[in-house]
Amino acid sequence: MSRNLARLHSSDEVSVTVLVSIGKHPVTGRLRRADQDARALEMALGLSDSEPRVIYAGPLNDSTEPALRGYLGMGVSELKVLRQSEQNDIVPALSGFLDNSPSSLILCGSRAELGESSGLVPYQLADALGYTLVSNVAVIEEVTATLAVVLQALPRGQRRRIEVVLPAILAVDTASPVARQVAYAKASRGFINCVVTDAAEDDATEQWHYQPARKRPKRLKIIKATSARDRFKAAAAKAEGTGGQVLTSVSAEEGAVAILKVLKEEGVLKT
Amino acid sequence: MNDIKRRDPRSEWILRNRLHPEHSTYALTHATGIMSEWIGPTGVKRKNPHLVGFIGPSGLRRIDRSGLQSSQQTSVKVQVDIDSRRFIQINAPSDYIVVVPELPGGRFSAQDKDLFGLAQQLASKHSETTAVLGVILSPLKDTALGEIGMDRVYFADASEFSDYDPEAHLQQLTAIEREFNPLYWLFPEQTSISADLGRRLSVKLKVRATSNVWQLDLDTLIATCRASGGTSDLYRPVSRVILALAECAEPVSDTRHEAKPIDQAINAVDVIKRIRNLGAVSVDPAKVALSEAEFILSGGKGIANWDAFHELARRLGATEGASRVAVDDGHMPRDRQVGATGTWVTARVYLAIGISGAIQHLQGIQACDKVIAINTDPGCDMIKRADLAVIVDSSELIQSMLDQLQQRQEEVQNVA
Amino acid sequence: MLTSLMPWLLAVAILLAVVGALRRARLWLRGRASNVNVWAGIRAMPKRYLVDLHHVVERDRYISNTHVATAGGFVLASVLAILLHGFAWESKLLAWLLLAASGAMLIGAVRVAKRRQSPPDRLSKGAWMRLPKSLMVFAISFLILSLPAVGLLPEGFGGVVLAALLTAGIVWGLAEMFIGMTWGGPMKHAFAGALHLAFHRRSERFGGGRSTGLKALNFDDAQAPLGVEKPTDFTWNQLLGFDACVQCGRCEAVCPAFAAGQPLNPKKLIQDMVVGLAGGSDASYSGSPYPGKPLGEHKGGPFQAIVAREGKGLLDADTLWACTTCRACVEECPMMIEHVDAIVDMRRHLTLERGQTPNKGAEVLENLIATDNPGGFNPGSRMNWAADLNLPILADVKRTDVLLWLGDGAFDMRNQRTLRAFIKVLRSAGVQFAVLGNEERDSGDVARRLGDEATFQHLAKLNIHTLQQYSFRSIVTCDPHSFHVLKNEYPELGGEYVVYHHTTFMERLYRDKQLSLKDWVGGRVTYHDPCYLGRYNGEYDAPRQLLDALGIDRVEMTRSGFRSRCCGGGGGAPITDIPGKQRIPDMRMDDIKASGANVVAVGCPQCTAMLEGVVEPRPQVLDIAELVAQSLIEEETRA
Ligand SMILES: Cc1cc2nc3c(=O)[nH]c(=O)nc-3n(C[C@H](O)[C@H](O)[C@H](O)COP(=O)(O)OP(=O)(O)OC[C@H]3O[C@@H](n4cnc5c(N)ncnc54)[C@H](O)[C@@H]3O)c2cc1C
Ligand code: SF4
Ligand code: SF4
Repeated sequence: MSRNLARLHSSDEVSVTVLVSIGKHPVTGRLRRADQDARALEMALGLSDSEPRVIYAGPLNDSTEPALRGYLGMGVSELKVLRQSEQNDIVPALSGFLDNSPSSLILCGSRAELGESSGLVPYQLADALGYTLVSNVAVIEEVTATLAVVLQALPRGQRRRIEVVLPAILAVDTASPVARQVAYAKASRGFINCVVTDAAEDDATEQWHYQPARKRPKRLKIIKATSARDRFKAAAAKAEGTGGQVLTSVSAEEGAVAILKVLKEEGVLKT
Repeated sequence: MNDIKRRDPRSEWILRNRLHPEHSTYALTHATGIMSEWIGPTGVKRKNPHLVGFIGPSGLRRIDRSGLQSSQQTSVKVQVDIDSRRFIQINAPSDYIVVVPELPGGRFSAQDKDLFGLAQQLASKHSETTAVLGVILSPLKDTALGEIGMDRVYFADASEFSDYDPEAHLQQLTAIEREFNPLYWLFPEQTSISADLGRRLSVKLKVRATSNVWQLDLDTLIATCRASGGTSDLYRPVSRVILALAECAEPVSDTRHEAKPIDQAINAVDVIKRIRNLGAVSVDPAKVALSEAEFILSGGKGIANWDAFHELARRLGATEGASRVAVDDGHMPRDRQVGATGTWVTARVYLAIGISGAIQHLQGIQACDKVIAINTDPGCDMIKRADLAVIVDSSELIQSMLDQLQQRQEEVQNVA
Repeated sequence: MLTSLMPWLLAVAILLAVVGALRRARLWLRGRASNVNVWAGIRAMPKRYLVDLHHVVERDRYISNTHVATAGGFVLASVLAILLHGFAWESKLLAWLLLAASGAMLIGAVRVAKRRQSPPDRLSKGAWMRLPKSLMVFAISFLILSLPAVGLLPEGFGGVVLAALLTAGIVWGLAEMFIGMTWGGPMKHAFAGALHLAFHRRSERFGGGRSTGLKALNFDDAQAPLGVEKPTDFTWNQLLGFDACVQCGRCEAVCPAFAAGQPLNPKKLIQDMVVGLAGGSDASYSGSPYPGKPLGEHKGGPFQAIVAREGKGLLDADTLWACTTCRACVEECPMMIEHVDAIVDMRRHLTLERGQTPNKGAEVLENLIATDNPGGFNPGSRMNWAADLNLPILADVKRTDVLLWLGDGAFDMRNQRTLRAFIKVLRSAGVQFAVLGNEERDSGDVARRLGDEATFQHLAKLNIHTLQQYSFRSIVTCDPHSFHVLKNEYPELGGEYVVYHHTTFMERLYRDKQLSLKDWVGGRVTYHDPCYLGRYNGEYDAPRQLLDALGIDRVEMTRSGFRSRCCGGGGGAPITDIPGKQRIPDMRMDDIKASGANVVAVGCPQCTAMLEGVVEPRPQVLDIAELVAQSLIEEETRA
C-alpha cells in the first residue's frame, strides 16, 4: 500500500491492546510467534510511539516461552500472560481481563495456528465486551478518539475502506504488512508478567480428536453427463488438455489466440 | 418458471429499463418476449448475449454454454437436449438448511456450489421434506438457482444495504433464524463476507461454529476440519453453524430443484450501525502487491518494448512482475521482482514473457497453478515449467494480444 | 643561534608528541577490553613490522623501497638528531650518519612525491598531498644542518638567512613528523601502526599464520549490549587498528562491492571509524567516498550510534550489508587491519539488537531457526535427492572414515549434480564414507555473517552435539563455507575436527594413486578461487593440481589466487542484496571471459549459483568434482 500507516491523532486517548498467541511453523511444527498476531502487533507499533499492551492467554512453559519472546523481540518491553492450561477456554479469561482494564482498540490475528484455529475468538470477545468487530483488516488508515478508518483486504489485492466506531476489535489479515524481524536481544531482555485470572474449562472439546493433517484428495473431474452432447464434450475436452503444451512454429496471432483462450478458461480475463 | 405471486414494482421497472445494471438478470428470470436478436441500424445482426437460451423441459430457462451459439453461424436456433436430471419439488418443507453463498461479483463461486451440494446431502439424509434455503444478500447475476440445489430462495432487499454491511446482514440472518429455525447454517469458509457473517451469527446464536470443514461424514455427522493453522485435522461432531471449505462436497449435478422464492415477510430489526462501508478503494491491478496477485504478467530480458508490455498488463488487468535482469536494467522497479531474492508469488496464472527460467526465478513461482511462457528459445527452463508455451518473438506476440483484445472490446461495445 | 635553539625545539616537539600520544591512547582505551598479551606483543613488534608487514607492503615494490628509505631514514635521523642536537653530543661519525640518514630519507621523500604527482584514485589526497613536502623539508633541513658538522661546509655558512630558513624547516618538519604523529596528521600511522602491530587481536596472523574465523560473542550476560553500536563498543585494540590506516586504498582497489558501485569502500569505512573515535564529520576525508554517497553528510562521535536510528550517523546500514566478507581488503591491507571483523561486529548490533537485517535477511534467519536451512525446506527432505544413491547414514553405521558434509546445497538441484559427481569420485576411489543425512543442519555460516550470532551458536552447538555421537576420522565437504566454519569456527565452541575441502581431498586421493584419471577434453579452463577456500584457508594449489592432473589447458585470470575477485555470493550479500551499478558476478564473469576460457572450474556451490546467474551466453560453470568425475577411468571390479 502506498499510504503510510496512520498515526494516532491523540495517542493518550486511544489505548491499544494486541492479543497474541503461539504460532507453529507450517513445515516443522516448531513453535514461534504467530504470523497474523505478529502482523497485528506490527500494526499497533506503527500507530503510536507509546507502547501497545500485549496480552497472551494460554499455557506458559518452556516450549511456549521462547515463542512468546518473539513478540518481545519486536520491541515491546512487556508481555502480559493470562496463564491458562491447554484445555481452558481462553475467551472468559481475556474478556474478564479486558472488561476490567479496557482498551479502545484491540488488534489480533484472524486465526490461531494452534488448536481449533476457528477464527472465532475475536468474534466471541467482541460479543462478550460489546465491541465492534472488523475482520480481514489490512491497514489502519486513521484513528481518532471515537473512530477508526481501516482498509479491509479483499481477494486479488483489492481493498475496501471501512469506518468503525470504537471501541473495536480489528482482526488482522495476512495481507497486512509483514511483521518486523525479531531482535534476539530484545526478545531475551523483555519481561513476561503473569496476571492471575480465572480459568474456565472448555468442555465442548471433549469429543474432539486431532490428527496430523491429511492431504486433501485432488477432486477428480467426474463429468456426469446429462445429455449425449455433454458426454461428447467431456470426452473431447480430455483430448485437448493443455498440460505442458508447447506451440512451436505458430504465428504470433495463433499464439495470442491460444494464450487468451487459456486466460479466459482460467477466469482471469474479464473481457 | 417462477410465478410472480406479488406485484413487484421494482422488478417490473427493471424489466422495462434496458439500461438498468440488473436488467439482464431480471429479464432472464421473468421475461418473455424481449428480443435476443435483432438487426442493428447498420444492417448487422445484433444479439443480446444475456438473453439467448431456451426453456428446458422442466420449464426452467436454460442457457447453452457450449460456445456453439456464440459463433457467427449458429444463432439462437438451439437443439433442445433431453435433460435427464431428476426434478425435486418440496411443497411443504418440514425443516430448512440454510446456505449463505458468498456471491463474488454477483455470481455463485465454485465453493458456493459445493456448499449447496453439501446442504442437499445433509437435507436428504435428514428427511424428504427438508428444504435447502439459499439466502441471497446481494444483487445476483446468476440465474441457475435450482440447478445448484436451492429448494427455496430468499432474496433480501439488496437495495437497503451495501455489499459489506455485516450488522444489517446479521439482522436478516437472525430474522431467518427466528422464522425458520434451520437445522443447519452453512457458510463458505475463508471468504470475505460470508465467513465473517457465519462467525457473527454463531456468536449471536451462542453456537460454537464448526469451522474449516473440509469433509463431513453424513452418517456420524463428524466433521473433518483443518486446524492448527492447516497442520492438523480436527474430527468433531458438527454443530448447527458450519463454515465449510471449497470442495467440501460435490456440487449438485443430477437433480434440479425448485428454487421457489420465500414469500413470507422476514422482518429484520434495525440496528444502530457502528460499521460504515466507505466503498471499494480502487487499486490498480498492475500495482497490486505481487504476493497478493492472482494473475501476473511478468517480463524479462526478452522484452524489447516495455511500453507495449505495460499496455498489455493494463488491458489484461494483470499485475506486473519482472525477472531480476529486467529490474537490474531499470525497466521495472525492485518491488516487482519475482524470485528467490524478490517475491515468492502465489498467483493462479503466471504469464512469463522473455524470461529464461533461472532457478532463482522458478523458485519464486513454485506456488503458481498455471504458467504460460513466451520465449524464442524452446530449450529454456521456463518452457519446461510452463503448462502452455508459445515459441515466438515477444514483441510480435504482445502486439497480437493487444490487437485481439482491442477487437474483443469493440465487439462487446457493439453488442451493448 | 640554531644550535642553542635545537634542544628546545626538539624538547618541545617531543613533549607535544607525548601529550598527543597520551590523548590518543585515551581515545583508544574508551573501547571494550580485549585479551592481549601486552609484553609479548611489544617484544614481537619489530619482527612483525619488519617481516609480516613488509611482506604485504612488498607487493608494491616501488612503495616498499620508498618506504624503507623514508621510514628507515626518518627513524635513524630522528634518533641521531636527538643525540647530536638535543643532547649536543659531538661526534663526526654520528654527524656523517645523520647526513646519510637524511639523504636516504630525502630520496624516499622524492619518490613519495613522484607517486603523488598523479596519484591513483585509491590514494587519499588532502593532508596526504602535504606529506611528501613535509618529508622533504625535514630531510633537507637535517641534511643541511649536518653539512657543517661533517666539515663539508664552513660553520656559519649562509648566515642568518639560512639559519632562519633552517629553523623554519625544522619547525615544519618536527611539527609534521613528531607532533603530527600523535595529534592526527598523516604520520599517525607510524605511531598507531607500531602499537597496532604489537596489540593486534589476531596475533596468529604473524609469522605466516592464518586467523580468519570470526570471534564468538559471549551471551552470558543478558544485559550486555550485543555487537557494536557506537565506536566505543569496539575493543580498544580494534580502535587502535583503525587509527593505523595509511589510507593507501589498496583495500578499496580490490573490494568487489566498491567496484560494483555498491555503497561500500573499506578504506572509507575504516576512516569513518577514525572520525567516530574522535568525533566529527567525514567532510575532511579526501579519498573516494562510498559510491553514491556524497561526503559531508555523515557525522558521529565515540558515544553516538554508528548507524543512526533516525537521520544520518557515521555511515548507513547498507554500507555494512554490501560486504561479501571476501577478505580481499584484509589480505591487501599493509597495516593488517581487520575490516571484516569490524563489519560483522556492527552487523551483529543491527541484527541482534535492532532486528534490522535487510531484504530477505530476516526471512532467511527465520528459516534457519525454524527449519535448520536458509531456504525453509523441510529438514526431513534433506536426503530426498539421493534416494537412489544408497548413501550410508551415520546414524546406522555409527563409524566411518570420512564424514561427507553435504551442506544446504543438498536442497539445490544444481548443487546436487556436484554432490553426485563427488560421490562418484569417492566410490571410484573406494573411500569409506557416510553422511549425517537428515541429522545435518546448516553450519551457521550465513547466520553468522548476517550478524545473527545467536542462531549461529545454536546451530553450531546442535551440529557439534550430533557429531559427538559418531566416530569418524575426517570431514569432507564440497562447500568452502561449511568447510571454513567447521574447521575454523567450531573449535571455539568445542568442536575440533579434521576437515578437508573436496578439492584437497581429491588431490590427495590422486596423489595416493587412488584415482585413475584420463584427460578431460572440453576446451580451456580457468579456475575461480572461492574466497572461503583461498583467502580464508590458503588452499590455492590443490584445485590447480587437479586440473593439471586432468591434462587441462589451464589459464589464469589476472585476478586469481590470493587476489581472486569474489563471486559476490559470500557474507549473505545475495540475501541482503544491496543495489549497485552492476553485479559482482557479472564483473567476475568478465574476468573469466577475458582469460579466454570457455569453462570456469569452481569449487563452491555459492560461486556456481552466482556465476550461473549471469545471463547467457557465457562460459560454462563446472565444479571440479564434475570435471574429475567426467574423467574417471571406471574399473569394472569396483562397484
Ligand atoms: C543469488 C541470486 C539471486 C537471484 N535472484 C533472482 C530473482 O529473485 N529473480 C530473478 O528473476 N532472477 C534472479 N536471479 C538471476 C537469475 O539467475 C537470472 O539471471 C535471471 O532470472 C535471468 O533473467 P531473464 O530471464 O530476464 O534473462 P535471460 O536469462 O537473459 O533470459 C531472457 C530470455 O528471453 C528470451 N528472449 C530473448 N529475446 C526474446 C524475444 N525477442 N522474444 C521472446 N523471448 C526472447 C531468451 O530466449 C531468454 O530465454 C538471481 C541470481 C542469483 C545469483
Ligand atoms: S571483505 Fe570484500 S566486500 Fe567486504 S569490504 Fe573487504 S573487500 Fe569489500
Ligand atoms: S585499511 Fe589498510 S588497505 Fe585500506 S587504506 Fe587503510 S591501510 Fe590501506
